[in-house]
Amino acid sequence: MYKEVKDTTALFAGKSYLIVDDFQGMRSMMREMLRIFGGKNIDTATNANEAIAFLEKNRYDVVLCDYNLGAGKNGLQILEEGKHRDLIGLATAWIIITAEKTSDLVFGAAEHMPDDYIIKPVNEATMKGRLEKVLAKKEVLGNVEKAVRAKNHALTIALCDKLLSTTQTNAAELLRIKTSTLMTMEQYDLAKQVFNQILAKRDIPWARTGLGKVAFLRGEMEQAQQLFREVIRSNPAYLEAHDWLARTYESQGNLDEAQNVLARSVELSPTSVVRQRNLGEMAQKRGDLDAAATAFRKTIKLGEHSIHKAPSAYLNLAKVCADKGIPSEALQVLKNAGQEFDNPEVQLHAKVIEGTVYSKSGDHNNALKLSRELAAIAGSDNNLPAGIMLEATQLFLATGNKEAADNMAQALVKNNHENAELLGQIGELYDQAGMHGKGEDLITTSRQEVVESNNRAVMLAKEGKLDESIQLLREARVLLPNNKRIMINLTNVAVLSMRQNGANAELMQMSRECLANVAALDPQEKWCSQVQAALDALDV
Amino acid sequence: MDNKENTPDISAFLASAIHDMKNSISVLMRFLDDNITKLEPEAQHEAAPMLYEVQRVNDNLLQMLAIYKVGNQFYPFDLTENSIGEFVREVAEQNKSLLSYLNIKLDIDCDEDLYWYFDHELVVGVIAHALNNASHYTKDKLRLVAKEEGGELVIRVEDNGRGYPGQVLDAGDAVNKGVDFASGSTGLGLYFSSMVAKLHQNRDKIGSMQLENGGTYGGGCFILRLP
Repeated sequence: MYKEVKDTTALFAGKSYLIVDDFQGMRSMMREMLRIFGGKNIDTATNANEAIAFLEKNRYDVVLCDYNLGAGKNGLQILEEGKHRDLIGLATAWIIITAEKTSDLVFGAAEHMPDDYIIKPVNEATMKGRLEKVLAKKEVLGNVEKAVRAKNHALTIALCDKLLSTTQTNAAELLRIKTSTLMTMEQYDLAKQVFNQILAKRDIPWARTGLGKVAFLRGEMEQAQQLFREVIRSNPAYLEAHDWLARTYESQGNLDEAQNVLARSVELSPTSVVRQRNLGEMAQKRGDLDAAATAFRKTIKLGEHSIHKAPSAYLNLAKVCADKGIPSEALQVLKNAGQEFDNPEVQLHAKVIEGTVYSKSGDHNNALKLSRELAAIAGSDNNLPAGIMLEATQLFLATGNKEAADNMAQALVKNNHENAELLGQIGELYDQAGMHGKGEDLITTSRQEVVESNNRAVMLAKEGKLDESIQLLREARVLLPNNKRIMINLTNVAVLSMRQNGANAELMQMSRECLANVAALDPQEKWCSQVQAALDALDV
Repeated sequence: MDNKENTPDISAFLASAIHDMKNSISVLMRFLDDNITKLEPEAQHEAAPMLYEVQRVNDNLLQMLAIYKVGNQFYPFDLTENSIGEFVREVAEQNKSLLSYLNIKLDIDCDEDLYWYFDHELVVGVIAHALNNASHYTKDKLRLVAKEEGGELVIRVEDNGRGYPGQVLDAGDAVNKGVDFASGSTGLGLYFSSMVAKLHQNRDKIGSMQLENGGTYGGGCFILRLP
C-alpha cells in the first residue's frame, strides 16, 4: 500500500554538498532546500573554474551541478574532468540540474554519466525524493563500483548477481554493469543470454544495442548493423546506437554511411568533442574536405575547455585546408597548434605539415627550406610514429630531397616490415613522385635485411642458443625500436630462457617494456594477452 | 525589400531562453510556495490559484518543447523501469501545497510494489498537468490511481467536479484517433498527453489516453494507459 514519507534529517546532516550554478537565485534556493533537509556543510560555486577549485580541495558526498553554466565547461564536462583527474571518488553522488533533457545527458557514455538528473523547475519534494534515492543507490552499489574499478571481473559479476537476486531496485544499473563486464571478459555468449532474457520481457533499446555490440565484437557485422538500425528506427535520439552503427559501417568499408551516421550523432550531441573529431576524420578519409574542415574547426572550438583537447584536430585541419587550397588558414592553425601543445612530437609533425602546405601551394622556396630543416632534425630518427615518417617521406620526395626520403623510407620499412598496408603506401609515394619501381626496390632490400636477422635469431633459439639469439635481437631492437616482430621474438625467447633458467629481473623488465610497446603500436595484437599471462606466471 | 532578412532564427535563442525561463519559474514557484504558507488560511485560499497559474506556464513550456523535440526526432525518449510507489509520491508531493491551500483532499490508490517501464519526465509531465487541471475543476476531492490492469499500467486522475464539458470529451476522442485536435491550451495539453501515450509501445501494444465522466467520484476522469 501507499507509504508516507519518512524522516531523513539524520541522513542529510552528515553529508557535505557542493552547489554549482551561474544563477544566484538558483544557488540560494538549492542551498535553502538542503538546509531544510538537514544539510549543514554546503559550498557554492558560480562557474566551472570555481567548482574545480572546490573539488581539488574537498571530497563531497553530493554535487548539485547546473548543466548550462554559460561560457566555459558545462556540468557534464566538469564531471568528466573531475573523474579524469580523480577529484571525484566513488562515493560522490553527482546530480545534474537541467532545463531540458538531452541525448548527451541520457544516452552518453556510461562512465561519464551523472548519478541522476533533475529537470527544472526544481522543487523541494522532487529534490528530496531524488537525493534520498541516489544516496541509497550509492550505498547499495558501493561495493560493486569498487570491484569495477579494481577490474576484479569475477567479483563484479558475483556482487551483481547477489543484488539482482534480492531486490528489483537498481536492477537496470546492475544488469548494465554485469553485461559490460561480461563483454570485457569476452564472455559473449553469457552477455547475449542476459540481453535476450531482458528482451524476452520487453524491447529495451540498451539491451538490443547490447546484442548489437556482441555481434560487432564477434565480427558479425551484418547482424550488428541490423540491430543498431532497429534501435535507431524505434528510438531516433538513441546516441549509443549511432556511435556503434558508425563503427560498424566503417569496418564494413561503407564510409559514406558511416559519415552520415556520425553527422547525425553530432546533431544529437552538439557539445561532444570526440564525436566532432570522429566526424572530421571520417570526412577527411572520404575526401569530403568541406565537411572535414567544418568538423575539425568545431572540434577545436569545443575542445577549448575539455579534457579531450588534442593536437590531432589542429594538424588534420591544417592538412584539409592545404588540400582545399587555403594555405593561410592551414599555416595559422599550425601556429596555434605549436602554441597550444608544448610537445616535441607535435612540433615536429607541425613542421612536416607546414612544409607540405608550402609544397602544395607552390611556394617551393619555403617548402625546400623546411624539407632541409627536417632532414637535419629527424633524418636519422627511427623512433617516430609511422604516420609522421610517411608524411615526411612524401615531403622529401616532393622537394627533390631523394637521400632524406630514402633514409626515412628505409627506417619506416625496417620498423614495419610486416605491415602490408603501410608498405603499399610507401611504394605509392615513390610512384606518385615519378620514380616507378624505386619504392618497390627499396622496400624489398630493407625488408630482406630485417627478415634475415629475425630468421637468424629464430634459428639460434631453435638450436638452443638462447643467449646468442637474445643478443642478436637486442641489437636489432636498438636499430629498429618500433618493429613489432623483433619485440615479439625477443620477448618470446626471453620467456623461454627464463623458463629454463628462472626469472631474471633484467629480462623481465625488458620483456614488459616490449609488451607495452607492442600493445601501444597495435592494440589488437592477440599475442599481448598470452605473453602477459606467461610473464605473470614467471614473476612470482 | 525582403522582410525575411530581418527575421532572426528563433532556434538560436531557444536553448538559452528555455534555460532562463526554467530558472525563473523555479524561483517564482518557490517564492509563492514560501510566502503563501505564511498567510492566514483565507488569504491562502485566495492566493493559491497563483500556484496553479505558474504550474500552467511551466506545463505549457514543457509540452511545447517536448512536442517540438519529438517532431524533430531529438527527444531522448528514455524508457526506464520506475517504482510506481515512488512515482506517485513524487507527483503527489509536487501538488501537495496547492491542494492543501484549496482544501482539496487527495486520495491515493496505487500498487506500491509495482515497477513499470516509461519515460519518467514525460509521464510526470502528463500526470502533474492532469492533477493541476483537476484541482481547478474539482469540488473538494481528487483521486490518483496507478495499477496494472490487463497487462497495462493504468493511471487515473479523478475528481468530484461537474465533469468535462461535451466539447472537451469530443476533443479527447479526436486527439486519440489522431483526427484533429482542439485549439487553445486544452488542445495542447491533450495533444501532448496523447503523444506521450503513443510513444510508449511494447511489442504490438500502444499506449492511449482517455477522458470520461464518472469514475469513483462522479466527476471528470483522466486515464493514461501504458503497455
